[in-house]
Amino acid sequence: MSETRSSDVDAALHNLEPSGEHLEFSSRTPIWVQVVKWGLILLTLAVLGWMAQQVIEAGYWIMVSLIGFIALCVIAVYATRRAIPAKYLFPGVLLMLLLQIWPLLYTVQISFTNFGDGHISTKEEAVASIVANSVREVEGSSRYALNIAVPEGTDVATGDLAYLLTDAEGTYYVGTLEGLEELPAEGVEASPTGRIISAPGWTTLTPQQVNERSDDLADFGVPVFDESGEQTAGIRQVGLSEAFIGTPTRVYDEEADTITDTVTGTVYVAEDANFVPEGGEGAALPQGWREFVGFENYTNAFTNATLREGLTKVFVWNVFFAAFTVVATFLLGMAIALLMNDERLKGKGLYRSILILPYALPIYVTALVWASMFNQDFGLINNLFGLDINWLGNAWWARVAVLITNLWLGFPYWFIVCTGALQAIPSDVKEAAAIDGAGAFATVRRVIMPLLLVAVGPLMIASFAFNFNNFGLIWLLTEGGPFVGGQSSIGSTDLLITLAYRLALGGASPNFGFASAISVVIFFLVATISYFGFTRTAALEDVN
Amino acid sequence: MTTAASSPLLEQRRAGDLTTVRRRTMKRTTGAVAITSAAALLLSACGGDSGEETADAGSSAEETAAEDDAAAEDEAAEDEEAAGDDAASTEAPVRDENAELVIWSDDVRAPILTEWAEQFGEEYGITTQVQVATDVRQQFKDAANVDQGPDIVVGAHDWLGEFVQNGIVEPVQMSSDTQELFTEESIEATQFDGQIYGVPYATESLGLIRNTALAPDAPATMEELASFGNELVDAGDADQAFVTPVSNVGDAYHAYPYLSAYGGGIFGKNEDGGWDPDNVIVGSEETIQGGEKIAWMAEEGLLNVNVDFPTMESLFAEGRTPYMVAGPWAIPNVEGAEIDYAIDPIPDFEDGGQTVPFLGVQMFYVASGAQNPTLAQEFVNTYVPTEEMQLALFEAGQRPPALKSALETVAAEDDDIQAWADAGEGATPMPNIPAMNAVWQPLGQATSDIVGGADPAERLEAAQEEIVSNIGR
Repeated sequence: MSETRSSDVDAALHNLEPSGEHLEFSSRTPIWVQVVKWGLILLTLAVLGWMAQQVIEAGYWIMVSLIGFIALCVIAVYATRRAIPAKYLFPGVLLMLLLQIWPLLYTVQISFTNFGDGHISTKEEAVASIVANSVREVEGSSRYALNIAVPEGTDVATGDLAYLLTDAEGTYYVGTLEGLEELPAEGVEASPTGRIISAPGWTTLTPQQVNERSDDLADFGVPVFDESGEQTAGIRQVGLSEAFIGTPTRVYDEEADTITDTVTGTVYVAEDANFVPEGGEGAALPQGWREFVGFENYTNAFTNATLREGLTKVFVWNVFFAAFTVVATFLLGMAIALLMNDERLKGKGLYRSILILPYALPIYVTALVWASMFNQDFGLINNLFGLDINWLGNAWWARVAVLITNLWLGFPYWFIVCTGALQAIPSDVKEAAAIDGAGAFATVRRVIMPLLLVAVGPLMIASFAFNFNNFGLIWLLTEGGPFVGGQSSIGSTDLLITLAYRLALGGASPNFGFASAISVVIFFLVATISYFGFTRTAALEDVN
Repeated sequence: MTTAASSPLLEQRRAGDLTTVRRRTMKRTTGAVAITSAAALLLSACGGDSGEETADAGSSAEETAAEDDAAAEDEAAEDEEAAGDDAASTEAPVRDENAELVIWSDDVRAPILTEWAEQFGEEYGITTQVQVATDVRQQFKDAANVDQGPDIVVGAHDWLGEFVQNGIVEPVQMSSDTQELFTEESIEATQFDGQIYGVPYATESLGLIRNTALAPDAPATMEELASFGNELVDAGDADQAFVTPVSNVGDAYHAYPYLSAYGGGIFGKNEDGGWDPDNVIVGSEETIQGGEKIAWMAEEGLLNVNVDFPTMESLFAEGRTPYMVAGPWAIPNVEGAEIDYAIDPIPDFEDGGQTVPFLGVQMFYVASGAQNPTLAQEFVNTYVPTEEMQLALFEAGQRPPALKSALETVAAEDDDIQAWADAGEGATPMPNIPAMNAVWQPLGQATSDIVGGADPAERLEAAQEEIVSNIGR
């Protein structure tokens, strides 16, 4: 007896001890897992390497170092045995950084610059563009027929470029960086238009070869000198077969940092990221450059007369619009979901598909259809009900129209969500409520609603944040209008985001810096409201 | 190319819509393209059998080879589908690294351009590619910004100021002989800061489109138009005496002919003949006089804030109004509805006010960041100014060509084109300075308010202030 017992105990003890098999399993991963793991790591590194190469080509060095850092992290986390929690956290954190934090930081960074139309390039590029675009044909000069060539015996890809030119009289020339020289007509073969096809001592380039030397040709021009030996102009190509005598009419003086217009004599000085005429009279040169402007966009946003006047009005409507939409669409969606949840109802699938339609159709279509239905004279709604309401022309009716449309657009979302959430509520709580003597309304009010709200609370905050910035609906339906009181800056149905859009992009030139500054302000508004929203939903969860 | 290539009337109308909508509210988002395409889709869907008609008209205009009805119907289906696809995809094209000459254009012109680009490629021994951009203006700006843009861009002349400002287009050194080949207004439109920046190929402007069944004769004056139109309304033959887009937010493009009738307008000119952004004349006496005419037209029931572009199109297509002021982009819909129509210049006012519409010019730009500038310059300087190419592009867009000889050839064969050319004669090229972006909304809203009963002088002066402050921003 004791023997058997001790052997039983031994067996049990033996079972408790880690067996060799188990040890082997935990210490050595199967070979295929290793292969897959290293395969994935290498693949990730390869993708990162490819990305780095692309970014290097584009010349964004900060991005390159960022990619390098990510690659190091991948190796450190996955190629070693340490940091097990990080293995799980890393992808999520990385995606959050890339998709949430990076755009946010980028927006903030832009909000401190004057980035926008006319202020996109660097100052060097702007100057180059101003000078290049000012090249004009010398008055009274005639054109040359052109071919492009390199000296015979040199490589077409590297040889010194030359223009083979034919002037209006039919005289042949060779133009190099040194100047123009007559070309003996002997042995020259020309087309009927006078263009030189071949000339002894020169190898003409095919269009493709010309193309490959675009960069060299961009800097190429044949100087033209006056009697005193001073350069007055240059011969430049127009395409492949024509050349003209031109001269830049705007010249950059690097030391003084000014541009002089040689025709009018106006001197332009650099000011506020543009070249403006010295003395302030007249228009600035169109090309400006991007620069850091500090808090200027923010001060502009807060001192802008339009924004200051309209902000309170728009903000109140904005909050009301978002809150009303969430509550109304939720209530309607939930009511329909409750009705559709009844077991006695037949053909639920069909009804449900039909009800989801408004959600499934693109808003670009439906919002425009609604806009035409709200037309006072020719719209369906007034015609159908025999009304004469100025839906889109009266401030209050326009707001009603927006709310109706958004209710129609938004309820299917809550219908779907509530249908799902209702099915997750166990039937026994409902039965328990019925046994306790609760009527249908009381069951919904006291049992189903609280359970439902726990599930959909966070979604309501998401919906609020979405509708707070529901640009598409407003822009498609009313464009923020109607505009009352003889102005076109603040519309009656404007949300902050549509107002900001019009302000930032409705000027002469879209100003992304200003737009970013306003976006950042709106971000903080929505973040604050959402924070309090989440604190409230945390209270809801106490039901459990 | 895309499948939308074959018979582009739907797209054409959409392109028309697009231009108009953009002019009005300068929508910049790519979303706007989806919006307008969706709107075009809707219109065609609501128009019942107009889809088929459109395709029929399309084949007659587009295809050299006659096709049987069944084929045309198949195409109608395909077109709708293709238009749908386009509506969904507003992604910018990506430059093909292997092509040596890359052209971006809208989907209406792309098929024609492809043929010519290929011919150019064969002649010069290079590879070419024509890519469709859904929102050429914005997509080119974005792509050129990161040096991924095309070599040539095909688009409207009023984008020019923006392009120059961003340094993404380069001048075209057109010889004076070549300049002579084009109509004066079209060359004027290609200039900015005294420099020519492109080669034009088509012009477009507003004209009076008349339902000949309701109004057999062209009205000599606006007053005549108003009284005849209102007689029809009183007799119950029409619902509206006249239609043109107004809408609740206004439409400065369509209001301009009346605003400028007495010498007013938007900008004054500077010494070298360009538009001067520092001289806004919206609140000037002359413009206010035009604004008073708008108020009068509203009193007569000609202008109505509840008429916007789609409403206008359907009212005219249903034969509920005798007159419509619109551009060539409105014609496919009229033809689709089988309305007999005639095109005339917009009538003048009895007291001598001359209605002057805006002239829009379509042109070829050369990108300054072009990877292959030589070939791009060669193409626009040698191919675009040819009569053959201008005629081919006319087939795609049905707009009067900018090249004089091509215009003569087309006008001799097509009364409509002669009529459009007449309607556009003396038209003012739409200002191509960036400051124009700051004008559309305030001026549009002002005209809408005047139609709604606001005092023209007060309202236009307020708009002037808004515009000046917008430009200064």
